[in-house]
Amino acid sequence: MLYTELTSSTQKEALERFKAKGFPTNKWEEWKYASLKSWNEREVEWTPSALNEASEASLQTQNGNTTFTGILPAGVEFLLFDQFLATNPAMAAKWEQRFPILDQNSLYDLNAALVANTHVLWVKAGVSVDDAISHDFILSVKKASAIQSRLIVFLEADASLTLIERAYTSAGSEEVLSNFVQEIYVSEKANLTYVKEQDLAQNTTHIDHTFITQLSDSQVDLFTFSLNAAYLRNNLHFYSDGERVMSNLNGLYVPGEDQLMDSHTVVDHRKPNSESHELYKGVLMGNATGVFNGKIFVRPDAQKTNAFQSCKNVLASTRATMNTKPQLEIWADDVKCSHGTTTGQLNEDALFYLRSRGISLANARTLLLLAFVQEVIDRVTHEETKLRLTDKIISKIQTSLAI
Amino acid sequence: MMLSIKNLHASIGEKEILKGINLEVKAGEVHAIMGPNGSGKSTLASVLAGRADYEVTSGTVEFQGKDLLELAPEERAAEGLFLAFQYPIEIPGVSTTNFMKSAVNEIRKYRGEEPLDAVQFLKMFKEKMSYVNIDQSLLSRALNEGFSGGEKKRNEIFQMAVLEPKLAILDETDSGLDIDALRIVAEGVNKLKSPDNATIVVTHYQRLLDYIIPDFVHVLYKGKIVKSGGKELALELEERGYDWIISALGE
Repeated sequence: MLYTELTSSTQKEALERFKAKGFPTNKWEEWKYASLKSWNEREVEWTPSALNEASEASLQTQNGNTTFTGILPAGVEFLLFDQFLATNPAMAAKWEQRFPILDQNSLYDLNAALVANTHVLWVKAGVSVDDAISHDFILSVKKASAIQSRLIVFLEADASLTLIERAYTSAGSEEVLSNFVQEIYVSEKANLTYVKEQDLAQNTTHIDHTFITQLSDSQVDLFTFSLNAAYLRNNLHFYSDGERVMSNLNGLYVPGEDQLMDSHTVVDHRKPNSESHELYKGVLMGNATGVFNGKIFVRPDAQKTNAFQSCKNVLASTRATMNTKPQLEIWADDVKCSHGTTTGQLNEDALFYLRSRGISLANARTLLLLAFVQEVIDRVTHEETKLRLTDKIISKIQTSLAI
Repeated sequence: MMLSIKNLHASIGEKEILKGINLEVKAGEVHAIMGPNGSGKSTLASVLAGRADYEVTSGTVEFQGKDLLELAPEERAAEGLFLAFQYPIEIPGVSTTNFMKSAVNEIRKYRGEEPLDAVQFLKMFKEKMSYVNIDQSLLSRALNEGFSGGEKKRNEIFQMAVLEPKLAILDETDSGLDIDALRIVAEGVNKLKSPDNATIVVTHYQRLLDYIIPDFVHVLYKGKIVKSGGKELALELEERGYDWIISALGE
């Protein structure tokens, strides 16, 4: 099915595992609504061409190749991950204790087998990076391709970082399946804010796997804004492996005509006294399909855990579908956990009220939908990003409702 | 003629609520529509504003020469019709000021007028706020969310002041108000009165009419106007209730 010159045995083994399973199909429980079955039969390019699109971001991933351009902030390094592990045995040992890859996920193997290079963005102990680092994730191919990308983010103790990722497809690109794996290690008292903006073309299938390991007293605020793509799948896993860990998961998806957006989240509480707050909202337009599957594990040792999950959706079209599945597995007895999912339509009384004041039906709907999603956007503290996202979301909603 | 309703019938589902309403309202007039609960008063207000729950099965409504029933709710508003809601809707995430800015500029666009800018809004809002003794902090909050009954009704009249309608329909605006709030709301309505506009006051009780003096009083019963008179009719209803009218109908 695919051929490539693999050099390491690890890669060869990963490829064998992938070949045995293939792309996920709808028979796989976790991929029920988001099958990639058709890719098993496709002729695609597995080693995409090099790309050099203009981008102002200091961190760039172009067709799977990640580079850092410009000057690295003090206390931040960017290097090949193998090199990082070889020269930092202490951190390599910690890395071994990171998040285990739990679910059946052949795409992780595919990525491990075929990814061209893996770099680490490394923030050293006690370093607080003042300015947000922008990461442009760009796809552009001349022939239908599958692209593997990988990035490691390693925060040492007391480090602090804001990452702003923008994933997009260049105009004129052919069809592409993008398989992006990120592993993030957040040490004691470290702090990470990560905003993901996924605004890809209609011929793009993008799968984002983000695995985050958090140690004691660390905080992660993660945002996933899913704006456009034919198929968007987010596998977001938090491995809360310390005390007093704070994990905030925020998601907003606004799929329109012929778009599928699937959020699979896992929060795994392993130690006592930690918190997780999960807020996901969706506006589904046209014939869009949405999926939310949120798992929370509270392991036996994780007493005094506070874990909250909320997923709210508005079906702004009679043809749209939303599938939600919250799953809580709690083995500790002294915990506070809650989850709630709602899926409904816009309130007719509210629409009539706005229209009775002279606001058109289209604008009244936009106004109510924006009010609905604002809660998630408002949590972004990076002002410039917040404004850009607001504009993009308004325009996405207006365009989709006008169809 | 500002408003001309002829033989208006309207149903919700299978149930006919309005069974042949005839009413004419001229500029400068205040009409009160009274009647026992369930007589169709609020339905009439909703049908005029264009609520989709009701189906008009026959009859015509002409508003300033236009066929009102052909217009969408937002077009009715742009043509100068305003409904003060009996139960104003709470809308989280939308402030009254932002909502009113959108409304005013959409209506101006409909009329081919230039949009107002932030400074013009500020000035206009400030003036209109004084009409109903409402303050900025309330208007910056999410629309009606957590407002008291009085605050909601004052907010309705504030919106009316901003939109300057030709015809205002006040649907049970007195319900849930204490006497002070009632006075503030009524004063607001009276300040907005002019020879060019008209008001329809829909109310169950006479007490609002102590403050907003009607030129005409109509009694609605079982979907029809069964009696009309001057303001003295309201006082008579207050004293004698509706039974004498109903029994005069032979029911």
